[in-house]
Amino acid sequence: MQNAKDSFYMALRTRLATINPDRTILLRGVARPGILVEEAEAPFSQLPNDVFVLRWLGLCTDLDLASTMTAEECEIAYQTCGTQSYGGLDRGRALSEMDEELVSMLQPYYTSKLNYAVQPAAAMLTQVFWDEPGFTPIVAQKDRLSRSAKVMVYGYQEQGE
Amino acid sequence: MAASWFSAPAPVTRRVRAYFAPVNRTAQTPVVFDPTEQSGFALDSPPAPWINLGWIQAFNRRPASKTAAVLTGVPAGITEQVRETVEAQVSFEFLSWTKLTMALATNSQHMNLLARASSAETVADGGAAATAVNVQSGSTASMVLLAAADAAKFTAGSMIAVDADYTGQTGYVGAPISGAYLRQALTDVDYIRRVTFNVALVSQVSASGLTLAEPLPGGAPAVGNKLQALAGFVDREGGSFYHEWSALFVMQGSQGERIFYYYPRLQSMSSAEEATAPLDTNHKGGHARVLLKGQFLALPVIDPLDGERVVCYRSFRPAANALI
Repeated sequence: MQNAKDSFYMALRTRLATINPDRTILLRGVARPGILVEEAEAPFSQLPNDVFVLRWLGLCTDLDLASTMTAEECEIAYQTCGTQSYGGLDRGRALSEMDEELVSMLQPYYTSKLNYAVQPAAAMLTQVFWDEPGFTPIVAQKDRLSRSAKVMVYGYQEQGE
Repeated sequence: MAASWFSAPAPVTRRVRAYFAPVNRTAQTPVVFDPTEQSGFALDSPPAPWINLGWIQAFNRRPASKTAAVLTGVPAGITEQVRETVEAQVSFEFLSWTKLTMALATNSQHMNLLARASSAETVADGGAAATAVNVQSGSTASMVLLAAADAAKFTAGSMIAVDADYTGQTGYVGAPISGAYLRQALTDVDYIRRVTFNVALVSQVSASGLTLAEPLPGGAPAVGNKLQALAGFVDREGGSFYHEWSALFVMQGSQGERIFYYYPRLQSMSSAEEATAPLDTNHKGGHARVLLKGQFLALPVIDPLDGERVVCYRSFRPAANALI
């Protein structure tokens, strides 16, 4: 299951770097695409602005198939206060921009499964795939707008996983 | 050592892609889809002459062949079964309205509404058309060359039809897509351009001609072709003409596997019909999308492999590394 989660995250991260190379985050001294996995970072007191944060939630398995299928729910949370140069008055536009980037990042709805526990990452045999995102309403907290989208990510267990 | 194969469960797909190609009605020759050579094509760019119709929904195929039992003995027991009829039907909904999808979703000829001459009488499917302009040699499928005075009659956003003048022929009219069948000669010189599928949207106009937003389906205009503006499309309930197409439906699985349904000969079997789908299922009285419904009858061909009469080929390209 971890390989499917890693592959999903890496696919989105690679796509984001192409869709909007300017959306970056400085994390542990390294500038990288503005997307991260919450459970793989130190706990946040508050989610960072203008960054996509992946949070893994539910898990289902179907054992009655030729290969076991797993379905994991991923919540992708993001928030923004807009830009300082516009005094935050562009926060609605900034959130719309993130909405569009997320929709683009998720397409196509599949990626190859790789094992990122080894260096270099090793290609596996199956593909990870997912459904269209389900978006939540915008939440406004003072000058911050936030939203999340939930995606069900599917994968097949391979031998040795 | 890492495994080099996996056991693939039943394919998981999201939607169905549709591709159509015109049957040569005069020669009664369908377009062949050979999965050994063509199964790996990019879904957005099918091999010629297949035309990409995009995603469809509510895809439903119904085998309707009838079998009968051969009984022998007393009391009778089934010795074997025989196939009495070979028949299949296909239905689905198009997610767009275009010249081609409209034509496919009706079982009569589909016509272009040519821009009218100013003095034309009022007619339900378009009166006498404004005079066609000559297409200059050197035109391509995406760039139609015209005399400067003719080009000035069009603007970006114009819709145009390009084809030959009608000269009194009977039988199937239009190539490579037969748009009508005429039992008797007509006097309308624009008739072929009324039924042609060679239509496009103009994206740019220059003194030398028209740049098209998409290439003409029929390719570069032939010598002597003419061009006319059109205002839209029209089809009729009634008439005697049935379009016939070769059709290919593709389901792409989550692991890269593909299921192909190839129908060499499909004819629309229902009149123009629409389905509405509310944009918001909680507000059924609100905006609704109008979808063209297509219902088709599959006609048989003789398989040259063994002489059998068949109406459909289902082929499967397994996922890479999947056990078969």
